[in-house]
Amino acid sequence: MRLRRTLFILALLMPGLGVILLMIGSVFYIAVAQSFGYYNLAGESAFSLEHWREVLGSRQFGRAFRYSLYIATVSALGSVALAYPLAIWLRRPFPGSLTIGAVLKAPLFVPGLVAAFLFLNVISWHGILNQALMGLGITDAPIRMQNDRGAWGVVFLQIWKNMPLALLLLTGATQSISDEVLDAARDMGAGAFARFRKVIAPLTVPAMQAALIIIFIGAAGDFAFQVTAGPTNVQSMAQYMVFLTDSFGRWNQAAVVGVSLMGLALVGSVVLAVLTRVVVKGGQR
Amino acid sequence: MYALRIADLTKVFDDGFEALSDITLDVSVGEFVTLLGPSGCGKTTLLKAIAGFHAPTRGTIEIGGVDVTAAPPERRDTAMCFQSYALFPHLTVAQNIDFGPRQNRVGREERGQRLASLLRQVDLEAHAAKLPNRLSGGQQQRVALARALALRPSVVLFDEPLSNLDAKLRQQVRHEIRSLQRDLGFTAIYVTHDQSEALAMSDRIVVMRAGRVDQIGTPEDVYARPETAFVADFIGAANILPVERRANGDGRIATPLGPLLTAETPSADATHICWRPQDAAPVNGSAAADNVIEGEVAARAFQGAYAELLVRAGSAPDQRLHLPPDAPQVGERIAFRLPPDKLRFVRGDAA
Repeated sequence: MRLRRTLFILALLMPGLGVILLMIGSVFYIAVAQSFGYYNLAGESAFSLEHWREVLGSRQFGRAFRYSLYIATVSALGSVALAYPLAIWLRRPFPGSLTIGAVLKAPLFVPGLVAAFLFLNVISWHGILNQALMGLGITDAPIRMQNDRGAWGVVFLQIWKNMPLALLLLTGATQSISDEVLDAARDMGAGAFARFRKVIAPLTVPAMQAALIIIFIGAAGDFAFQVTAGPTNVQSMAQYMVFLTDSFGRWNQAAVVGVSLMGLALVGSVVLAVLTRVVVKGGQR
Repeated sequence: MYALRIADLTKVFDDGFEALSDITLDVSVGEFVTLLGPSGCGKTTLLKAIAGFHAPTRGTIEIGGVDVTAAPPERRDTAMCFQSYALFPHLTVAQNIDFGPRQNRVGREERGQRLASLLRQVDLEAHAAKLPNRLSGGQQQRVALARALALRPSVVLFDEPLSNLDAKLRQQVRHEIRSLQRDLGFTAIYVTHDQSEALAMSDRIVVMRAGRVDQIGTPEDVYARPETAFVADFIGAANILPVERRANGDGRIATPLGPLLTAETPSADATHICWRPQDAAPVNGSAAADNVIEGEVAARAFQGAYAELLVRAGSAPDQRLHLPPDAPQVGERIAFRLPPDKLRFVRGDAA
C-alpha cells in the first residue's frame, strides 16, 4: 500500500521532475563530462584534467571571471537598490499608481537584444544623446560612450532590464506588511530609514534574496548586452565560451568555462543569500 | 495640569469628507479618557490625529504643553496600542518591547530594567524569547501594551485594543489595562464603540457622533444625565419620546404616552424626554395616579436577572422595560409608574 502510494506520488511528480532531471540534468551532465575530456567533438574522448588546467591557467579566463562577477554583483545590487524605494512608494494604491507600475515593469517585455540596440541608438557616436549634446551646444564633438571600458553601458542595461523583476517581487513583499506595523514603528520613534532597516528589510528578506539571486545568475551569464554594448578589452564568461568554440573549436575548454559559470552562479547565489541575511540582521541593531 | 489639549480640531479628507469638526478637549495628567461612538463617528481619526498619523486641517494639539500639531508621529511623546496589536512579527516579545527604548537611544542598563519590569507587570516573563505568532490574542495585547509603556510616553493611545478578544478575555484585559494605568499613572486616551467598556474603564467619556462631540462627562454623568437623545440611546438602553410642553402651568408635559409629571425644568432647547428601562416600577391595579402608564406586553425576553418587556401604550412606539423575572407574559396587561425624577429632558434626535 505504501509502495503504491509512493509510486503514485512519483508519477504525479514526473512531469516536473522529468523536465528537471532529463533536460537540465542531461545538459549539466554533458557540460561537466565534456570539461573532463568526454564528448570530445575534435579528438579522442577520455578523462582528462588538461582542459581545466589550461583554462584556469589562462589570464583571459581570470579576467572574464572577474568581469562577470563584477557585472552580476553590481547589476543585482543596483536593481534591488533602485526597486526598493519604488516598491515602498507603490505599496499602497494612489491615483495613477497602476499606470506608473505598468510603465516601470514594461522593460520585462522587451527582449534583451532589442533593448541593447535601442540603447545603442541613444549612446552611439551619431546617437540621439550625442546629437542632443551638440545641438544644445554643450559639446563640440561627439563623445565616445559605446563599449565604454568601465562597462557602465552593460550595467545600465542590466539594471534597466532587471529592476522591474526586482520591483515585481519586492512590491508583493512590501504590500504584505500591514500599515499598522509600519505605523507602530513610526510611533516608537523610527524615522523612514530606521523603518526600512528594522521592519521593511527584515520582513522582505526572502523576496530580496530571490531578486538578488535571479538577477545575479542572469547577469553573470550575460551574452547579448556584452557583445552589443560591452567593453571590447574584456569578455564576459559567456562571450569567452562562445569565443573558444567559434574561433578555436575548443569545445572541452568551453565546457570548462560553462561549468565555471554555473559554479559562479551557485556560489554567488549562496554568498548573496547569506550576506543579505547577515546585513539585514546587522541593520536591525 | 493638562497632558493633552486639543483646540478646535477639524479634519477634512482629500475627498471633502469632514471626519472631525471643531473638537476641543482637555485631558489632565493621569486621566483615563474614552472616545466613544458608533463606527464612522471620527473617534479613530481623532486618535490618529493625536498620534500624528493624520494632519489636522485646522486646530491645534498640545502634548505636555508643547504644540505638536505639525510634528510627525516619531517626534511625539505618545505611544499607541493598535487594534491589530501591530507587533513586529520578526522580533521576539522582548525585542518588541525593547524596540522603542532602543530606537530612542535609552541606555542599555535602563532598557534592561524597563524590559524586566514590564515583562513582570504584564506577566510575560516566561514568553520573552517567543515570537508573537506563538502567543494567544490576550498575550499579544499585553505585549503591545508593554511595548507602548516601555517608551514612558506622556500619553498612551488605545485604538479599540480589545476588539479582537473574546468576551471573557476582554473583561480580564480591560481590568489589567485599567489597573496598570492606575499603578503607573500614565494618561490614556482609549477608543471604543463598546459602551460597557467605556463605562467600566473611564474617568471621563467623550461621546462622539458624526465627527462632533455630543457630550463629555464622567461615566455616571453620561449615563444618568445624558444631554442629547443620541447619548441617551447610545449609552445603555433608553426610551426616548418627543415632548410637547403645555402652557397650563400644571407641571405636566404632553407625550405620546400621555401627560407626564417631571421633576426637572426643561431647558429651552429640550425636544425629547428619556428614561431608562429599569426606572419603570410595576404598579398593581388602577392607573389613576401621576405618571402611571397602562399597556399591553408586546414582547418578552428572559435575561436571567430580569425580564425585558416591550410594552405597547398610548400612541408611543413600544417602550422597553426591565422588570423582575415574574413580570407579565406576552398579551397580558401591565401598569407601570415612571418616577418624575427619572425623566430626563434631552435635545436632538436619537441615533
